[in-house]
This record gives sequence, structure tokens and C-alpha cells, in this order.
Amino acid sequence: MSSAPLRESPPQAADNGAIRAVPSYCYNCVAGPDLMTVRVENGVATRIEPCHAAAAIHPGLGRVCVKAFGLVQKTYNPHRVLTPMRRTNPRKGRDEDPGFVPISWDEALDTIAARLQDIRARGLVDEAGLPRVAATFGHGGTPQSYMGTFPAFLSAWGPIDYSFGSGQGVKCVHSEHLYGEFWHRGFTVCADTVHTRYVISCGSNVEVSGGVCAVRRHADARIRGVKRVQIEPHLSPTAACSAEWVPIKPKTDPAFLLALVHTLLFEHERSALDLPFLRDRTAAPYLVAANGYYLRDPATGKPLLWDETSGGAVPFDTPGAHPALEGRYTVATAVTRGPDNEISPLEAASARTALTAMADAMQSYTADWAAGVCDIPAGTIRRIAAEFLDNACIGATINIDGETLPFRPVAVTLGKTVNNGWGAYECCWARTMLATLVGALEVPGGTLGTTVRLNRPHENRLLSVKPGEDGFMAAHFNATDRNGWMAQPSGRNAHRTLVPILGNSPWAQALGPTHLAWMFSRAAPTEWPTPNLPEIWFAFRTNPAISFWDTAEIGRAMARMPFIVAFAYTFDETNHMADILLPDATDLESTQLIRIGGTKFVEQHWAHHGVALRAPAVAPQGEARDFTWISTELARRAGLLERYNAALNRGAAGAPLKGEGYDFSLATDRAHDVDTIWNAVCQAATAELGGTAEARDLDWFKQHGHYVVPFKREDWYLYPTMVRLGLRFELPYQERLLRVGEELGRRLHEHGIHWWDRQLDEYVALPQWHDVPERWVQAIRDLGADPADYPLWGITTKVMPYTTGNNAGIPLMHEVSANLRGHGAVVINAATAARLGIAAGDRVEVRSPIGSTTGRAALVQGCRPDTVVIPGQFDHWKTPFAKDLAFPSLNTVVPMSLALTDATGSGADVVRVAVRKLRAEAGAP
Amino acid sequence: MTRYVMVADLRRCVGCQTCTAACKEGNGTPPGVQWRRVLDLESGTYPDVRRVFVPVGCQHCANPPCLEVCPSTATRQRPDGIVTIDYDLCIGCSYCIMACPYDARSLIDRPLYAFGDEPTPAEAARIRHQTSGVATKCTFCAKRIDAGVARGLVPGQDPEATPLCVNSCISGALSFGDIDDPAGPVADLLAENQWFRMHESEGTEPGFYYIWDKGTL
Amino acid sequence: MSQPIASRRQSYWDLRAAGNFIGGGSGAGLLVMAALAAFAGAPFRLALALGLAGVLLGLSLVWLEIGRPWRALNVFFHPRTSWMTREGIVAGLLLPVGLVASLTASALATAATALLAGGFLYCQARILRAARGIPAWRQAEIVPLILATGFAEGSGLYLLAGTATIAAITCALLAALAREAAWRAYREGLASTKLAQPSLAAFESASARGTRAAQITAMAVMVLALAAARFAPGASASLAAAAGALAAGGGWGLKAVLITRAAFTRPVAIPVMPMRGGGDVRAWRPSRS
Repeated sequence: MSSAPLRESPPQAADNGAIRAVPSYCYNCVAGPDLMTVRVENGVATRIEPCHAAAAIHPGLGRVCVKAFGLVQKTYNPHRVLTPMRRTNPRKGRDEDPGFVPISWDEALDTIAARLQDIRARGLVDEAGLPRVAATFGHGGTPQSYMGTFPAFLSAWGPIDYSFGSGQGVKCVHSEHLYGEFWHRGFTVCADTVHTRYVISCGSNVEVSGGVCAVRRHADARIRGVKRVQIEPHLSPTAACSAEWVPIKPKTDPAFLLALVHTLLFEHERSALDLPFLRDRTAAPYLVAANGYYLRDPATGKPLLWDETSGGAVPFDTPGAHPALEGRYTVATAVTRGPDNEISPLEAASARTALTAMADAMQSYTADWAAGVCDIPAGTIRRIAAEFLDNACIGATINIDGETLPFRPVAVTLGKTVNNGWGAYECCWARTMLATLVGALEVPGGTLGTTVRLNRPHENRLLSVKPGEDGFMAAHFNATDRNGWMAQPSGRNAHRTLVPILGNSPWAQALGPTHLAWMFSRAAPTEWPTPNLPEIWFAFRTNPAISFWDTAEIGRAMARMPFIVAFAYTFDETNHMADILLPDATDLESTQLIRIGGTKFVEQHWAHHGVALRAPAVAPQGEARDFTWISTELARRAGLLERYNAALNRGAAGAPLKGEGYDFSLATDRAHDVDTIWNAVCQAATAELGGTAEARDLDWFKQHGHYVVPFKREDWYLYPTMVRLGLRFELPYQERLLRVGEELGRRLHEHGIHWWDRQLDEYVALPQWHDVPERWVQAIRDLGADPADYPLWGITTKVMPYTTGNNAGIPLMHEVSANLRGHGAVVINAATAARLGIAAGDRVEVRSPIGSTTGRAALVQGCRPDTVVIPGQFDHWKTPFAKDLAFPSLNTVVPMSLALTDATGSGADVVRVAVRKLRAEAGAP
Repeated sequence: MTRYVMVADLRRCVGCQTCTAACKEGNGTPPGVQWRRVLDLESGTYPDVRRVFVPVGCQHCANPPCLEVCPSTATRQRPDGIVTIDYDLCIGCSYCIMACPYDARSLIDRPLYAFGDEPTPAEAARIRHQTSGVATKCTFCAKRIDAGVARGLVPGQDPEATPLCVNSCISGALSFGDIDDPAGPVADLLAENQWFRMHESEGTEPGFYYIWDKGTL
Repeated sequence: MSQPIASRRQSYWDLRAAGNFIGGGSGAGLLVMAALAAFAGAPFRLALALGLAGVLLGLSLVWLEIGRPWRALNVFFHPRTSWMTREGIVAGLLLPVGLVASLTASALATAATALLAGGFLYCQARILRAARGIPAWRQAEIVPLILATGFAEGSGLYLLAGTATIAAITCALLAALAREAAWRAYREGLASTKLAQPSLAAFESASARGTRAAQITAMAVMVLALAAARFAPGASASLAAAAGALAAGGGWGLKAVLITRAAFTRPVAIPVMPMRGGGDVRAWRPSRS
């Protein structure tokens, strides 16, 4: 670590008499954090400004997106809940008035603490082994940047069930999270936009949800001349800002991507691919036996490859070997290792390389075949493949930080609905293989992972790479062997039981099939004990009653929760079911230090990393309290103070308070005030980053806002680490997934569980096309309806002012969004609308077998005629302001079912719908 | 001479409305009044469709039609090209609104607030900025520019002398500066790229340039 | 092709503003007609008074419309280019001169009133013509349309006032025909600009078609009135009064539509779409290479 900051942030805080400028950050969406300044006049926050002092270190020049400008209205929203409240109506439900009455903080906290102490006395887990306390936080881990020291409280408590989802799996790029991190430590994946020349973007709406840094990087790239081809059913802002828009039939992206792979393999010279990369950095030369498993050396168990020099099979790591990339070979003696460690000795075993196996599997996926599936001309598919290959610059190198690295300026990115639910595995694999075939994985210009969440440390994904078996990175799957498999779930979504690839790190549970927790709370599988509902459910910055699929059902499930503690900003559809409301001090009112820079989610690629303070710009409104104070008080009253302080000392607030050469530990026997805690964290974090002499206290941060040290650009790329450790990417062949899937199937069947069989089909070594869209057609039949009655695809999209901002109640966001087409409307192709007798502005009903939603029709040309788009997530019935908008929401009509759940536990925002004009209200402006 | 102009690079703009929000908050404009906004336009027929985001607002024309029609002389033009409105002279006849080919002006009859009849503390703090009964429009943040210039700062280059929309623009689409300053922030941009001005045939000579491709005209 | 925010209906000038064009136009037309009548020896003083009242009513309505009515005198500050200032100045002359004419029946004052009324009407036409943000108003043919409409309304009102002579009916018919010709020219001109599709659609609305029907019916009834004049003077007078009402009402309706319903902002149009990547990417090499 550098001993000194490259850039000492100049003081940002200004105090010009009545006007102050207070440094802060915005981390309302996962594409942050970005730095900002709050302007305060006579004690009132009046406006948000960029952090111009960070222009030299922040890839977005210290700017914040439109959402941040809503924070002033958010602070002064007259609808805020500003005192703790208690429910007086024991009956819960949408139609029940909760009868909230104000109570004191003492009463609120003592009520919660008494329940917590009662639980501790009876045991932290119930008879079924499930945690009695559950917690749900909103979008992408961002609530952690606003919950102060609550993680220390959670850590002090012990087991907590994070399995009640609020959108995970259906609102995120779920399969990318899992497979991306497995294959190349890419919890999210992006193009190396600052270097790339050609991007195939399947529905990745980066200009809307990519955040400030991505928007700037892509804009710069456009000026440079990068060609981005946007493949998606409607003309999103990202498609608008691309060189080409290719309207694809929803959910057929796997076919498109497989056809690109086919075209590269069969319609171009093999020598046009990056053969050295395939040979040395992937498992392409590994020999695959007829039974589907790698041929292994009987003595060492290592996978074999065919050495062209010796003309025989040798272990993959044999020095001096010259591996054959393709071909079929006969190996005299070998073994395979199947499920449950079943070793099969083979004599004169016929085998083919993994690359040959892959080519065999891809042979039928021609551009002409895909054209019929995707409704994209075959010539377009071939051209895109050729352009991709042409721009890959195979053989070229680039100097980064003094290191010579491959330069492969082509990338493939995937959007949300491409990247979750059925078909997502195939898309993730094909995308990663497209990069791999041309050596464009994790190198400058190519397709990159950004950060890790299932592996650790979160701050530096490169350090998460450890040598594992078979020449690959270590993977941390949940056990599927007979002894290790968790037959009885440890959480209500059974993530360790059903989804091996998730592992069991702190983030894993919330990335499991989180809708199962809701579904099983009503009717659990007969093979398992009925899960008791958690005795306390904490909810913060989350509104699953709006943001999940089949929101009506989620609302009903929520109403069954016995005791809900909701940190409440305003009344909303979720805290309508709560028992206690706690008003936390919001963005501009509270204190927290977070990590910034390095490589983070989406496209935050900095040349620095460090920490930034969110200083309170104004006093909390009403009785709202800083989350750190709330956490400390909860810990104290629940008898957890010592454990809570110990967790803080360990680093639960973002930095260990004791390290080499410094010790800012807090005494564990007393409650510390907010500033004392963050003063220690500030000093420890800066000492960790820059050395003891660099320690900066809270007052320094209140003046300067942030502190950074250099982050090597080379560390944006995983490739140098793979080379240094002599590791191969676990591609193209998925022997591990094949084995794990087989084992999982055996375990489930041994326990009489067959309702997950559909998901087991996804565990294949080489992805194959299955009729992905048909699954959504079948879903209509499963609901007892006739698909002919639901002739259109319903999908959703985002707009920046609302993306993951939880700000539907902020009038400014509504006003500026109204400048964008389709805001609060049903976007429909003009010709389709004409056919249905729908005029612009007519109120229309979008219906699926589970319900309907209504909104104005917005007629466009930039949408497939067979598709309607409902932007955002609305249909609020409780949130003030938002409930009066009468906006539609796809969530209301998307069914939630096991059949639409893929093997990773995710679904997709897709549904077959019918659209009709509401005649009585026709002609509304 | 100094002639301040705005440059919007349509290749960069993503329609995010950050400039719209930054302007609204910074200038304290009431709900529904947007001195800066970004239009979302579509042309063509499926599947050959283009969509484009166009930042608009007062174009600070060299020959402003609003100035010509204004009966009270409230609308004026500064030597640096910025078109201003004297709120103490304006009679609120809205004629300038009708005369502007760019739909850049607004007028509200009574104060409006985000959450209904009562101002929030933030709105109350900035209530002096909210002007009802007179025409309002983008000022190019003239007060900010003047204050910055007085401190020796360069508009378009130093944030404290630059319009708020430009400061906030996340894609780098908006630039601002003195077009007559060859070393300024917009001269090279306009020299090296192809641009147009809106409704050029009007002869209004807008001070708002739209870049659409590289290369010289 | 759709352009979602291509143009919007202006909402700042409502029926009060339309009232200025209705009252002012009819009043000015009636004043001119009164002057003609005066020189033809026909009754004119009532018409003069009514005309002045119309102008005054129109100005009063617009006074109610403006945001800062107590600063109304500022309207006189910009005679150099503003037709609104000029309208105000002319009105400032017209009202006292007209008052003198109606009180004294002075030929000079009456002639001056007619001239000023014509000037006032011309200012109103030019106010719309200078509204360059509203394609339906800025159209060159708006000037003859507003002038002819004012005369048609004024001459119609003159008939309604019970002073239907053959000359007066002929005058009204000529004014109505002039309005018809101006309207057709205006519509054609508007259509040719391709900037005013929503306005053209507004002119096809039921209310707009109603006003047009009134205008056309008025001309037909005027012809009938002329035909009946010789053998049934009583019927002719009634017909003329009805025609006058239709001519005036038709004009008022049309102006109400023109000001409040058909006034859309100029559609945003950009001459060229931006190049968003896909250019000569090969020309670029990363600076670090």
C-alpha cells in the first residue's frame, strides 16, 4: 500500500457565514458511490452539487446522477415518519388500517429489546434450525452505506435469516453474479469501456443504470468511435446511444449468443481465434471422456491433455507439454471422477478435447437457425460475429502501468432480463466464451469482472483468487456430497440446500432463491418441516411489497409476519404490515464512512481507492435518529453491547479499528456516541490505507470529505493474476457443474424431493438451447389460461431518476422523469396500438392470468410489435405521492412460480400479457 | 467581445435529466417550470428507428424574438449575449413565451410547491428565487458567471463560474464558454466537430450549439 | 413517426386573451363599419359606442390575464419593436378619439376613429404574426385573416344592431367573403409549413367546424337577406340580423379556437441525427499503447 495519498483532497467544507458546503456521498444505487456536496443555507439543505474537488480522482469527474438531486426533497418530505410508532391494530393486511400511534424511542427500543432478549433466552434458532430473527435490506447492498453500525449489531446478534427477498434474483443480473464470479471473479461484468472498440450489449441498459462513471466512460467511448450494438426488444436510452439497435424477441438471447459462438467456430478460420489464450489460460485442451467427465491421470487425479510433442496424454500442468487444442484421441489408461467421487478406470479411452466437445455442441446453432428463433436476420448475426472478431485485435498488446498485457478491445455485456431466469446460464456461458475464444476475458479492452461478493475480500477481487483444483481458481460451492449436503435448510430459502454454486459467504443467502422464503411461508414442501416465520423481521430501505414479482402474494405473505420492525422513511406498502416503525436519519442527516474507488459494481473503475464520509449536513428532522445511535441503543438494551463493540473493533463499520501500528479500538464495556465511533473508524481506515502517520480523524473528514491512495490500473484485470498463479479460467467445459448437478439430484431424490428436477436440467457441461420463451407460454397454461389470450410479451425497463432509488415518493423525480417517454405509462408499438384501437394517452389495462395493471399508453416506434414495456416499479397503494400517480407496474402481473425459477434460483421480469383499452377512461391526456 | 454560448454534444447525452434536476434545485424553480430540460425524441418507423435526447432551454439568441415582442422591455440582452428578464419590469403578459421558437419560457400565476400548498424548509429558504406572475427562463446562471468572473474565474472551466447544468452533466454533453475566446472551453469543440443550431432558418442566431459528429463543417 | 414532446398546446393565453382578440377585433371592425355608415349617412353612433365598448372589454379581459396587472402601464415601454406596445398606444388614442366621435359625431373624429380602429386591428394581427413560437399564429396569412375577421365580425354586429341596409348587408357579405378567402389562404399556408399538424387537427374539431359552419351560413343568409330586401324588407332585416349574429359569432368561435385550442408550440426538429459511435474506431489507439 502506498505510504501517502496521491491526492490530498482539498478542504471541501466551506462555511461562508449563513451558507455551508458539506461533503457527502450518494450510494442510492449499486452503480455508486459518487461524491457530492450539500449546500446548506441557514441550517437548511437547499441543494446538491457535484464534488468538484474529486474531479481528478472520480471517473465521473466528481458528479452525481439525477437521483442525488432528489435528496433535498427527500429530507424535507412532509410525509416522513418522524417519530417511532407502534401498531395498534393486530390484524394485518392491505385493507387493514395499522392504527400507528407515536411512541417514544425508549418505548420502541425497549419493546424490540425485550423481544430480542426473550429470543436469546429461548435460542437464536428455532426447532427447525431456522434463525428466529430475519432481516431484509434493499437494493444491491447499498442500504449498508446508510445503516451506520447496524452491521455490528447484526454481527453481535448471531444467526439471522436474510432469505426474504425484496427483488433479488428477478431484479438483478443474478446469473452473472453467480457464474461471473465463478468463472472470472465478476460479480458484475462490464466492458473495459475505456479501451474497447466493439461492444455487443444484450439488453444491458448501461446508460440508465450504469451510474455516473459508466455513463461518462461510454460517452467518451462513443466520441472515440466505439461501436456498440444493442440487442433488445425495445429502444432503450442505451439502444438510442448505440451505433445500432437490433430488436430481438424477448428471452431468445441465448440463441443469438450461441449462434455467435457457432459463427466464430465454424465460419471463420480457427487461426483467427486467440489459440494461445485458449491453450494456456483455459481448459480447452483438457480431454473429456465419453461419460462427460475429464480424463484424469490415475496417479494424481489431474485432468489430462494431449501433448503433441510426446504424442500422449499428460497431466495438464506438465512442464514443456504442447497441448492439442482440438481433436479426438485414445488414451491408454486414465480415470474419470464422477459424482460422489466415483472413480471410473478406463482403458483405451476415447476422448476429445474440451474445445472439440464444445464445437460439437455448438454445431447446430447456425445463424440461420437463430434467425428463426430470435427474429434477427441471419446476415446481421454473421456480420456482428465478424465485426467482433475483426475488432478483437488478436495478437496486439498494450502497456498498462508498465506491464505489457494483451489488448482485445471487444466485449459482450448482458442486461437484467437476459441475465436472470431461464436462459441466463446459457447467456452467461456464451458471453464468457465469446470473450474467451478471442482472448478478451479479463484483459484490456475486453470483458471484465468488477468486484466480488461471494468471495472475499470485497475490496480487492484479485486477492480472492486462490489456486484450486484442476488448475482452476478455488471455488467455494455448498457441499453436495452425501455427508456434507445440508438436507435441512439453514435458512428459509434453502440456498445452501438447493444452489451449490452460491457457497455460504455472508452475501450468499440473500442471493439464493429468495422468493422461496415467501412462497414456502405459505406452503412448504412436504419433505421439510414447515418453516416458522421469523419472530422478528427487520426491514430497511426495502419495499418488497412493490419491488418483487407477484407483489400481491408477497404482501399477503408479509402480513403473516408476527413482528416487523421497519426503519421507516414514509409509510409504504411494506411497513404497512409493521409492528414498530423507527425513523432513521436519512442521507443528509447522518454520519457514515464508506469505502470508495478501486473497482466496484457495474463500471466503477478508479485509479484510486479510499474512504469517504457522509457528514450530517442538517439536523435530523423530527425525532429521526442516526442509525449508529439506534444500533448502539439496540445493542445496549438487548444486552449485546460488549459483542457489538467487539464487532466494531473487528471492522463491522468498514475498517478494523486495530491494525499494524495503530489501535483505535473502542472500549467494549460502554456505549459510545456516534462521533466517537466514526472518529475511530476514520482514523483506522486512513491508517490502514496510508499508514499510521496518515490517520485522519472525523473532523478532518468533515472538512475534506474523502481520502484516497492510488489503485493500480493493472488491477482492473484478472489476467495478470491468473498468469502469475499459473491458473486457467474454468472454461469452456463445465465438468464441475455437471458433477455438482448430478450430486445435487441424487441428494434431492434420496430425500424424495422431485420438485427441483426442472432446475437440475440446467447442470450441463456445455449449454444447449432449450425453448426458453416457451417456458413463459407454458406458465400461462399452468395458470389454467389459454396462451392465445395473452399474445404479447410484457417486459420492464428502468429510468435513471428511479433506478433502484426507492424514491417514488419524491416529486422532483416524477417531474423530471416526465420528460422521458413512457414514464408511468405502458410503452407500446404504434402499429400494435393501432391494431388494438389504442391511441396515445388512452388508459390501457395490461393483464396476465394473475392480475392486471393499468396506465396510459405511450405509443412509440422503438418497440417490437409483440412486446409492451412498463418502465419502473410503481402500483403503489400506500406510499404518499406515489400512490396518487396511478402508474402501472409489471410486478403486479408477473407470476411467481417454481417453474419459472432457474437453477440459480432466479426468475425474470417477463410475462405474457393481453392489452386492452379501458373505454370508460379513454382519451385521458 | 465576449459571447457566452452553450454546447450540447448529442452524441453524449443520455437523457438522464440530471441537468434538469440540478437546474431546478439550483435555481429554485417551482414544480412544472424547467429552465433546462432534455427532450426525448424518436424518428423513423419500426424497425428503422432512432431516438435522440436533446437538451433545450433558452438559446440566448443574438436576435431574440422574445426581446422584440416584450412590451415592457423587461427582456434585455447583455453585451455578452445573455438574454435577461427584469422581474421588476415584467408585466407577465406571456407574449415572450409565445414568441420564443424554442418553448423556453415559463410563467406561473402563484407560488407552487413540491408537496402541495406549503413550502418545504428548502423551498422556503429559496422562496426569493421563486417568481410568480412574471416570465422566467434560463439565465445561463448569469449571477454565478458574474460572481465567478469577478473572482478571475473562467466560465465553463471553473465550476464556480459555470452554469449548474453544465457542472452537473454526467456524460459531458454540456459545455459552456465564451465562443470568442480561442483558448476557451468551447472554441475547439466547435472547430473540431460538426454542429447545428436549432431552427437556424429563423435567423435568431442562437447561442446554443448542438454537436452531432466529428469533423469540420 | 412519433415525436413524443414534439409540440405542446400553449396554456398561457386562455379565453381572456382570446377575449381581447374577440372584443378588439369585433370592436375595431364595428368602428370602421360605423365610420363607413357615417359617411354613407346611415346610423352610426350606437355602433361607435358598441365598437369602443368591444375594444375596451377586450383590453379589460387581457388586463385580467396578465401576471402583474398593476404594472400594466409598463406595456407602453417598447414601441420600437413590440406590437403589443403599439397596440396599447393605438388603443390609448382610439378610446378618447372614439369617445369624442361618438359624443360629437364629428366627421374628423369619426374618420380618425376608423383609422385608429384599423390600426388597432392591424396591431392585433401583427401581435399574432410576431408570436414565432406558435406556428398557427406566426403564419403570414394570419394578418389578412385577423383583419378580415375583424371586419366580418364588425359588419355582422352592425347588421345585428338593426341597421340592415342593402349597403350594410353588402358590406358584411364582402367582409365575410374576404374572411372566407383569408381563411382558405391561411389554412393552405399553414398546411404547407408542415409545422402545424396539431393546429390543423384542432381546426377539424367539432367546435371549430361549428364556427366555420356559422360563418358559411352567415354568408348564405346574407345573400337571402339581400334577395329579400326588395320584396320583404322586414324579413330581410331579420335575416340580416341573424346573418350578422352568425358572422360575428363564427368569428368569435374561430378566434377562441385559434388562441386557446389550436395554439401549439413549434415542434422541435433537429436536422440531423447524432453519430453515436461506430465511426472509424480503427483510427483510435489507446494512449497507453
